Amino acid sequence: MTALPEYKTRRLLANQGVPLVDGVFLNTQNDPGRDRLPPPVYLKAQITGATSRAAQGLVRRVEDPLQMASDIEEMFAAKAQGPVEGLLVTSAAKLCHEYYVGCILDFGSANKLPGGILMFSSQGGSGVEERSGSLKKISFSLLRPPTADMLTGHFAELDHPEALATFLEGIINTFIRYKLTVLEVNPVGVREDGSLLVIDCRAEFERHAIAKADKPLFTIHDAGREEQTRIERIVEKINALEPAGTGFIRENRAPVPAGAYRVATNLCGGGGKMLWEMAVGGRKDIYSANESDTSGGLSAFKSYRLLRAILALDTPQVLLLTGSGMAFQNQYHLAAAVWKALRESPTPLPSLLRFGGTEEDKAQALMERVMPSLPVKVKTFPAHLFPSAMIDHIAQMASEKRMTVVPEDQPGGEPAFRVDLPPGEFYFDPQKWTQPTPPPCVTICPTQFLKWNPDRRWVEPAQDARCIGCLLCETVSLLEGNGELRIKLDIPEMN
Amino acid sequence: MDGILKHLADIETPNVLVFGITGKMGRNASRTMKAVGTPILAGCTPGKGGQSVDGVPVFNSAAEAVAAIPEINCAVTYVPAGAVKAAAMDAMEAGIRFLVFTADGVPIHDQIVVKEYARAKGSLYLGPNTVGMLDTTGYLFGLIGGNAEWARKNYLPGCVGIISRSGGLSQLFGAFHCRPHLSGPRPDGSFGPLWDETYPGVSAVLCIGGDPIPGVTLLDAARAFQKDPRTKVMAVYGETGTTQENDLAAAVRTGAITKPIVLFLGGKFSKAGVAQSHAGAMIRNEEESYAYKRNVLEDAGITVVQRPDAVFSHTASVLNKGA
Repeated sequence: MTALPEYKTRRLLANQGVPLVDGVFLNTQNDPGRDRLPPPVYLKAQITGATSRAAQGLVRRVEDPLQMASDIEEMFAAKAQGPVEGLLVTSAAKLCHEYYVGCILDFGSANKLPGGILMFSSQGGSGVEERSGSLKKISFSLLRPPTADMLTGHFAELDHPEALATFLEGIINTFIRYKLTVLEVNPVGVREDGSLLVIDCRAEFERHAIAKADKPLFTIHDAGREEQTRIERIVEKINALEPAGTGFIRENRAPVPAGAYRVATNLCGGGGKMLWEMAVGGRKDIYSANESDTSGGLSAFKSYRLLRAILALDTPQVLLLTGSGMAFQNQYHLAAAVWKALRESPTPLPSLLRFGGTEEDKAQALMERVMPSLPVKVKTFPAHLFPSAMIDHIAQMASEKRMTVVPEDQPGGEPAFRVDLPPGEFYFDPQKWTQPTPPPCVTICPTQFLKWNPDRRWVEPAQDARCIGCLLCETVSLLEGNGELRIKLDIPEMN
Repeated sequence: MDGILKHLADIETPNVLVFGITGKMGRNASRTMKAVGTPILAGCTPGKGGQSVDGVPVFNSAAEAVAAIPEINCAVTYVPAGAVKAAAMDAMEAGIRFLVFTADGVPIHDQIVVKEYARAKGSLYLGPNTVGMLDTTGYLFGLIGGNAEWARKNYLPGCVGIISRSGGLSQLFGAFHCRPHLSGPRPDGSFGPLWDETYPGVSAVLCIGGDPIPGVTLLDAARAFQKDPRTKVMAVYGETGTTQENDLAAAVRTGAITKPIVLFLGGKFSKAGVAQSHAGAMIRNEEESYAYKRNVLEDAGITVVQRPDAVFSHTASVLNKGA
């Protein structure tokens, strides 16, 4: 879940009509808004994900204008918990009491439907965590949320229960409207007349739950997030180039334990990640150079690009790949991508490969056939062996010296044609196929996208079919033909 | 012979409406489902009513589809995550009793609303974030098998019921129980064939999905297999996060589930609060941890194996097989 800073949470609440203590957000220390609220005020540094701000001087009460100017300058310069997005200035409202209000999700159980939970304490303010015994929890439906009238009865023992119920209705509406996972107001300020105000607030949300129209409200300062590595940036561009299918690679930032075998992984789906974690989680002698999830119907073009990115990682000694393509990815297509990546990468890795799913037998047979021609050692495993069996071979593979090779030449000149999605350039060399009959690259095409023009003796794209990026044409051209058809798959920023 | 839907949702013959049938994924998956034997009676894509896909009529809404074809009783959705809630409510409002949501990334709020709406309407659903279900009486909902030829070849009638929170493992657990002479680790530490050419086979494969609020839970699926006369043993993939495994253990302990269960539990090294694999695997409290779940499962008498490929020798042992 992602945290939303207070000034943004206030906007969500304001949009739902929840009353807020007067406040102004300063983008810069010279923001003209700084003169709008005279002291006494509170200055609050806005830092995504920051905690315990008061203890670090990132929340201050200011009594006079001169102090306010110097405090604003100091707080903008603060870097204790990441870059300061701005300062929220709020009035020091006169309050007679403080409440605590929160909303969270209840995931339910066998005997209970999921929903929301409204949490309330009549003893809000700092230190509320230690007073959890005073917390009242009220389950509510997200489908049919409670109205103020329905909530009033829960607070009959307090003064002005109707005002509180109306306030809580607004809190629940905000929580549901923006699909928040957490919404907390602490304190809720209670004034002499019984009216209520949001004094301080925070929210958490799921990035993918936010409606397109609401995205500007949830744009957060990302500078505090983990900086991407070069390979992660390349993977991001690969995903932008061809969005279909999950292509997740994250490099391990932890230091490599002395003597550990360094393994790059290309794993499939949540199950694949879980199995790898189960197999090596308790071992200190195996270091995962990266996390990976390559699933959900990738084309072989995309698998190739992702594999090239993985092979370009600096750390690993061995590549371990498992495919589970029964749902989505044909494993023969994946094997074609693996072969291409290992022969075209300048830094191929000794590889442990297990294909599992549609056409897994053909996938394994392909790799075993091309194995002798590869610059690195490759071992394949039948699908019925799970990753735990592959791990026994890591040490042997890691004893191979990692090499830098001169990869095979890429086709040059103008391509015969290009495909936009999945993106690739097709090169045809008519001197390598002089017969009038169609070459194998045409007859293998599963979608009849490749057509043979017998008059020109040339390969052309069909207008009424599409390329699915399976790489079978190039694969069969190299294995059964004369290498007449080649595919060039550029990788953004790889070179 | 009744399929698993009879025991899950009291549906003898599924007649299916496909949401998103005009999209690439929906069209391809529908072809696979039909080729396996699933009766697809209609499609639904708002704004594309009146079209047809491979001879299947397309309607603007589930209400229109059900009005024209009252036999429709199931729906499968191939729509983006953000559109699942609307499709679900449309289908349930039209009276469709069983649904499958394949999409990954459905907002948790939407999952909760759909769960409550389904309860109110008397509907049941599989997912979200599922590869679906396959029954060896001859129907498929979702994406299991990748293509029809592969699905028919790898999922063969038998007596093992598969339940899984992972798409890949639901398929592997299913397919490997249908392979003659499958090799794997044996309880005595040796490795080799676990059975001869007479493989156990599967009754059905139910992928309940990897999200935190599944429609059909591990327990719901186990109850269906308990009632299914074909099923003699259940092979289950559970993991950290949610209380599903604990609920299953409680049902075994009280005698509501009596058929043997072999379970591989993922997440031994998962840390609390970290999304390790599936969204639903995140540990939010002690009861959702690996250690807690393993204890309650084993206390209930469920066989918890230490590696995924150990599932097969244990189901074989239950069935008194052995090469």
